[in-house]
Amino acid sequence: MEQMLTILIADDNPSDRILLKAILSQFGHKVVTAVDGQDAIDKFDPHTIQLVCLDIKMPHKDGWEAAFEIQRIAGDVFVPIIFLSGVSDPIALSNCLRIGGTDFISKPYSPALITAKLNAIVRLLVMQKTLEEQRDAMRSYNEQLLNDQDIAKVVYENITHSNCLEDPALSTFHYGTHTFNGDVILAAYKPNGGMHLLLGDFTGHGLSAAIGALPLADIFFEWTKKGFLMRQIIPEINARLKRILPANMFCSAVFIDIKVNNKSIEIWNGGLPDVLFFSKKANQPIRFSSKNLPLGVLSPDAFESQIEAVSFLPGDRLMAFSDGVYEALDVSGKMFCHSVLMPLYQGHVAADQSVDWLIEQLETEGVLKNPHDDISCLSVRLDASIGIDSSESEYSRAHHEAPADFSFEYVLNADSLRNTDPLPYVLQILTTVPGLSSFSSQIFMILSELYSNALEHGVLKLNSEKKNSIDGFSQYYEERESRLASLTSGYVKISVKVTSEGHNRSLVLYVEDSGSGFDFKGVHFDISNTELLYNRGLALLDQLCSKLEFSKGGSAVTAYYDWQVGLNG
Amino acid sequence: MVERFFDKKTGCLTITINGRFDYSCHKMFKEAFTSVTTAASYDVNLADVSYLDSSALGMLLLLRDHAGGDRAQVRLLHANGAVLDILKIANFHRLFNIAE
Repeated sequence: MEQMLTILIADDNPSDRILLKAILSQFGHKVVTAVDGQDAIDKFDPHTIQLVCLDIKMPHKDGWEAAFEIQRIAGDVFVPIIFLSGVSDPIALSNCLRIGGTDFISKPYSPALITAKLNAIVRLLVMQKTLEEQRDAMRSYNEQLLNDQDIAKVVYENITHSNCLEDPALSTFHYGTHTFNGDVILAAYKPNGGMHLLLGDFTGHGLSAAIGALPLADIFFEWTKKGFLMRQIIPEINARLKRILPANMFCSAVFIDIKVNNKSIEIWNGGLPDVLFFSKKANQPIRFSSKNLPLGVLSPDAFESQIEAVSFLPGDRLMAFSDGVYEALDVSGKMFCHSVLMPLYQGHVAADQSVDWLIEQLETEGVLKNPHDDISCLSVRLDASIGIDSSESEYSRAHHEAPADFSFEYVLNADSLRNTDPLPYVLQILTTVPGLSSFSSQIFMILSELYSNALEHGVLKLNSEKKNSIDGFSQYYEERESRLASLTSGYVKISVKVTSEGHNRSLVLYVEDSGSGFDFKGVHFDISNTELLYNRGLALLDQLCSKLEFSKGGSAVTAYYDWQVGLNG
Repeated sequence: MVERFFDKKTGCLTITINGRFDYSCHKMFKEAFTSVTTAASYDVNLADVSYLDSSALGMLLLLRDHAGGDRAQVRLLHANGAVLDILKIANFHRLFNIAE
C-alpha cells in the first residue's frame, strides 16, 4: 500500500526535527515543519495535512495542548496524531493515546519502526476514507429514498383518497405503522345513488404492502363510476391482484354495496374480521363473517364470491375493521377479539358511539402507542339518501348542447343475461348525449330499476313479496343467483330513443322481457310507505320519469324522461 | 424457530414452527420447504405457534404454490384456538387440509 502523505512535524529540537524530516522525505512523503506547539497549530490545515507528529515537550504549548487544539480545528476530518517522545514512561505514553493520539514514536528514531508505523497509519487512513465515502453514499441514498417516498406517498394518497370518504354518513380511522401502510379504505358514490365501500388489508406492512393498493383503487373507482356492480368489480380486482402480486401477497377485504333504491346492503367478506350490522330491530349486531378467500389468492376460474344481503332502515349502522383491531393485544396480553371487543359483539355499545368507543379502547389498552399492525376501522350510518344528488352540483352545464337524435335496441338472450351486465355499456352510450351526462345518476337509476325488474320478475319469475322480511330478503337474492345460473331461455330487450326539438330533449327507454307480465293496475306509487320492502322501485321510477307506461300485459314498460338545454344561456 | 423433518419412506416433509409465525420466519421457512426437492407431501405443524400474521399466511401460500398449487398436498396440523381462528377468517380451509 503505497501512498504519499503530507505530514506536519512539530519539534523544538532542530536536530530531531531535521532527522525525522529526512527519514520521512526519503519515503517520498511531503513534510511541513513547525518549531513548537503554537507554530504547529498555526500551520495545521485539515484539508492538506493528513498526519501530524508532535513532540511532547515544547515551548509555547506542549504536544498535548497542540493535539487538543488541532483535533478541534480538524472537526469531522480524521487526522491521526503521532507523539514523538524521548521518555519511556508508560504513563506518559498511555496519556498520549488517551487524549486521542493514534500512536507514538520513541526517540532515538529507528527508520524500520517508523516505516512500519507509517504503513499502519496509511491503512487506517484508507479505511477511514472508505468509511466516509460509504457514509456519504448512504446518506445521499437515504435522502433520495425519503424524497422518492414523499413523491410516491402523494401519488398514493391521490389515488387511494380520491373518493367520498368525507360523506357525513361515514366515520373512519386509520393508524399506520409505516409511512405507507397496507390498509386502504375506499368509498365511491354509484351513478344510480348509494355507495360502494371497501376496507382492505394487504399482506405485510410498508411500501410493499401499499403498492397493491394502487390497482385495487384504480379498478374500484373506475368500475364504480361506470356503473358496474359489486359482483362484477370483485372478480376483476381479484384477477388483477392475482396476476400482478407475488404468490405470498394478497388483500383481505370487505366490500360493501349500499343500495338506496331498495334500502339494502350487500356484503362480501374475504379474510377480514366479522362485519357488524347494527339493526334497530335487534339487540345484538348481526355478524357477517368471512365467507371468501382474500383477494388475489385464487385464479380467476376458481374464484367465486359469496355475497350476503340484508335490508336496512334509516339509522341502522354497519361497522368493519381490519385485523389490526381484532388481533391487537390488551394490557394483559389477550387478543382484542377474546376480551375488549366482547361488549361490542354483545350489543352493549351503542351503535352510534361504536367508533369512538373503539378508539378509546385502543388508547386505554396501549395499542395506539405501539401498534404492531396497521389499524383501520370504517363505520357507516345507513340511509336512503346516501349518494343521491351529491354529484349533480359538480357538473357545469355545457354552453352549447348540440341536438341529438338516435335510437338503438339491445336484446340479451339467456347466455348473455347469465354472463353480462349491459347497464354500464348502455349508460356509456347515453352519457355521450350532450346535456344528458349531468343527469346520468337519474338515468342510471331508471335504467337499472327497469332492467332488474325485467330480469328478476319477468325472466327469473321471482316473487318480490319474499323481500318483505329480513330472512326472505337474503333468500330472495340466493334464489336470484341460483335461477340466473341455470337460466336457459328468456330475454330482455332494451330500446333507447333520444330526440331533440328546440330546447327540449327527450329520452324514451323501453324495456321488455320474456315473462308473463304482472297486474300493473294494482301497483301503488306511494313512495312514502317505507314499511313496504318491495315495490318501492316502481314508485321511485314514477317520481323520476315524466311518464311511465306499461304494455303487453305488464311485460313491457316505457319510461319517458324529458329535459331542456340551453335555457340558462 | 423453524425445524424440518423429511420422512424418506412416506415422502412427507414436516415443517415445525415455534413461537411467533411472522415475517421473521420468512427466510427459514422458505429454506425449509425448498431444501427437499423430492417431497411428495407437506405437513406444517402449528402446535407451538402462538401467533400468526398475514405474512405467515402469505408464506403458506408460497409453500402451496411450490407444492403444485391446486394439486398441492399440504396439511396444516394442530393449530390452536387463536391460530385456527385466523386460518378460518382467511378461509384457508378451502386451500389447505386443516387438521386439529
